[in-house]
Amino acid sequence: MTPEPRSPWYRREIFLPMLLMLFTVLWMLAVEGKQGIGRDEAQYFRAGERYFGFFESVAVHAQEGHLGRAFSRANVDAFFDDNHEHPALMKLLYGVSWRLFHRCDCPAKKGLHPIPIRGKHITLPLFTRESTAFRFPAILMAALGVGLVYWLSRKVLSPVPSAVAAVLSVAQPHHFFHAQIACFDVPITVMAILVAFAYFKSLKSPTWGILCGLFWGLALATKHNAWLMPFFLLPHYLWIRRRDFLRLRPPRIPLAFLSMATLGPIVLYIFWPWLWHAPVERAKGWVVRHTQHEHYNFEYLGRNWNLPPKEWDRQMLRATFPFVSAGLTLPVTTLALFVVGTGVFLRRRQRKADAVLQDEPTAPMARPSFLRPGADVDLAPGIFLAIHIAGPIAIVALPQTPIFGGVKHFMPAMPFLCVVVGAGAAWVLKTTRAWYAHRRFHKAFEVVLASLLCLPAVAETQRSHPDGLGHYNLIAGGFAGGASLGMNRQFWGYSVLPLLPWMAKHRPPSNRIYWHDVLHDSLVMYSREGRLPVGIGDVGVGEHVLANSDLGIIIWEKHFVLYDVLAMEAYHTTRPVRVYHHEGVPFVLVYERRPPAEAGMP
Amino acid sequence: MTDTDGPKPASTKPRRVTLLLGTAVLLLALVETVNAVVAPRLAPTDRDWESAAQAVRAGHAPGDLIVAAPLFADPLLRLHLGDLLPQPMVGRMDDRRFGRIWEISQRGAQAQEVLGDKPALDARHGALIVRRYDRKAARLTYDFFMQWRNAHLSFLAPGGREVPCGLADDRHRCSEGNVSLKPQLLEIDTRPRAVFSTVPVQGGTTVLEFPQVPMGSELAVGAGLHNVWLRKGGDGVVQVRILVDGQERAVVKAGSRTGFTMQSIDTSALFNRRVAVRFEITSDQAAARHLGFVAEARTP
Repeated sequence: MTPEPRSPWYRREIFLPMLLMLFTVLWMLAVEGKQGIGRDEAQYFRAGERYFGFFESVAVHAQEGHLGRAFSRANVDAFFDDNHEHPALMKLLYGVSWRLFHRCDCPAKKGLHPIPIRGKHITLPLFTRESTAFRFPAILMAALGVGLVYWLSRKVLSPVPSAVAAVLSVAQPHHFFHAQIACFDVPITVMAILVAFAYFKSLKSPTWGILCGLFWGLALATKHNAWLMPFFLLPHYLWIRRRDFLRLRPPRIPLAFLSMATLGPIVLYIFWPWLWHAPVERAKGWVVRHTQHEHYNFEYLGRNWNLPPKEWDRQMLRATFPFVSAGLTLPVTTLALFVVGTGVFLRRRQRKADAVLQDEPTAPMARPSFLRPGADVDLAPGIFLAIHIAGPIAIVALPQTPIFGGVKHFMPAMPFLCVVVGAGAAWVLKTTRAWYAHRRFHKAFEVVLASLLCLPAVAETQRSHPDGLGHYNLIAGGFAGGASLGMNRQFWGYSVLPLLPWMAKHRPPSNRIYWHDVLHDSLVMYSREGRLPVGIGDVGVGEHVLANSDLGIIIWEKHFVLYDVLAMEAYHTTRPVRVYHHEGVPFVLVYERRPPAEAGMP
Repeated sequence: MTDTDGPKPASTKPRRVTLLLGTAVLLLALVETVNAVVAPRLAPTDRDWESAAQAVRAGHAPGDLIVAAPLFADPLLRLHLGDLLPQPMVGRMDDRRFGRIWEISQRGAQAQEVLGDKPALDARHGALIVRRYDRKAARLTYDFFMQWRNAHLSFLAPGGREVPCGLADDRHRCSEGNVSLKPQLLEIDTRPRAVFSTVPVQGGTTVLEFPQVPMGSELAVGAGLHNVWLRKGGDGVVQVRILVDGQERAVVKAGSRTGFTMQSIDTSALFNRRVAVRFEITSDQAAARHLGFVAEARTP
């Protein structure tokens, strides 16, 4: 047998996804500076820096000759108590990235840091802004997600449609918004596909079985959504081994599940120092916190939702939320390809010569074991994808599930959805090949058409920036269409960034400024980066403090009309002095105090 | 990877319908791309708003109402024309009293206030359209909100003991029980409402009486609960009992999910008469309840 000739470098499996990942990183780094700092992100910046402070404290304790004290409960808690409702992994990465890559003028602004600044940091100053250094790991994670979608797609598709799937997995306005910020929503989405990918590979490879457990541990250390992952893997495993039940022989527990059960908690424990001294008690607190999470306010179809609905018609309406939101936020071409791709997967078993899917053949004579539990059966990629798409969406559709995060709460479904989208792209490329198959540059033609399928999503994503949360698709009618339909347009108070120069310039002599939903930690970071002057006023949060200010910001969300009304009353006017809007849709209002007579009240 | 089960013999030439479907998806991609580039340029600009505002100012008369369509553009409307929109107008109970309504519209939308009406004036300003609607306004015989100082507040403590109340600066205030009532702009059902603001007392009755109200043929009353957080946190219902000339004519209930409730009372039998109108406010569960209510006597 002669060995197969080695593929040229550009055809190797690693090249194309690496290229896509690089483009993703460059795209996000090019635009993230226009993205404001949201509430949660500002807290993760602070926590990340504080967590890094733990490593500094270890070094200090080691130098002083009492290393053990660094790992005492008091010292660990001093750093990791901050934002302990979420595991530490991503925040650790944000903190480390900040420490390595920021441009340091820390001694000049030492009062704005949550940890002691002992001098100018020696860093590799890759980024102008500190926030970019914090965000860099999140951006790398988003890029990894693109690669993983490609590799998962390659299980059933050829390279070009797989690339389409990978591009469309990031070219989604809402996903893109979350992908470039130092939060957990895209990292956990990437973890979802990493764990699922490892599990799928583990059905024929014990190495991946062990990795699956490690990855699930990392997922647990990223965000609590990881609790759900086994519930999506188990039904698939039972499905592919369904014939075992007919033979009255229960399927073996696969290595991946054993690995998840053992390595998962160990990895979580290692990467979350908050658990080190009280693992059971604090893990329990973590579970309780998120299973009893309060309902925030969220606008959907013109209504403000902040409690589980009691009436059955409202419950039904509430249940439509993830479906309608997905239908109105994903680019329409992506949706169309998903519909076509679903058809492709439904016809998979027909195995025609012109089949679009190219998944691995079944080897019925192979001997399965717990190390290779899928060796002798069809791996049912369609069922695998369907569960991973329907699972997160179905959970968000439950009437009792809080919907305050909107699209981000079912984002873990999107990478899998994009594999189906890739199948749709493969079908479109295959069917339209009749046009160009005979032409000289047919390969190039295929790439052009594949690019055309990606183009609307890329254009829509770029159009949406930096207000991706307010973006709605062609069906909805864009930003204005989504707003007309009464769909949520923002949260976290990130959207204030374009108004900062104006606010700094019009700072009142009293320096009494109300920042509404913009967290003090965000203001601190803006000041550290020179986007706001150090010492700019902040009267604090809450309804009662608004009246103490002379200049105020109101983030324009449906339930925040309360604060708009309070501002009108406090400032004696109905007229804002500035409104930040995107394509005519308001996001932020600024008010200045006026004489009482202007209110026109009796 | 290839299928080793052996392919069934089949034609690789796509059928016309599949070719059309594939082409349609490509065309959709093209259309969506063009839209993504063109649509932002079709959105109203600041210049469009300035031009539209200038047009409204040129024809505006005192008492004219100005609205945005769709409603999401309201902050931009107020940015450009807020000086013509005093707080009682922004927080209006409804639009029946307005004879002329200016609408600044985009994307073919029509404001709730003028739905189905035909405009007397219609002019385009870039991506915005300014329309003026002239219509028969309800004749207001008594604006309770503006006449708040002519009312009398009293409080019946649990057990029926009457607590004295009086006028103090910007409100009526009672000597006990932390009971007060004042005209205020409140957030009710995520809209601003210029209303009488009062916090009900469990087991007690807050009474607001207007002794000499010139009646029209209708008494319109609106009520709802203030503050999105309180509506979320509390569960009680606040009742507003309305007595006209000593007789109970309606009860408006305000709860967390009732929004801003309007009630129209037929007062044609009292037309042109001056009578007492009394509002009695009670709540069986007053925790986290903050009531806003308002009324107009008018003839439609």
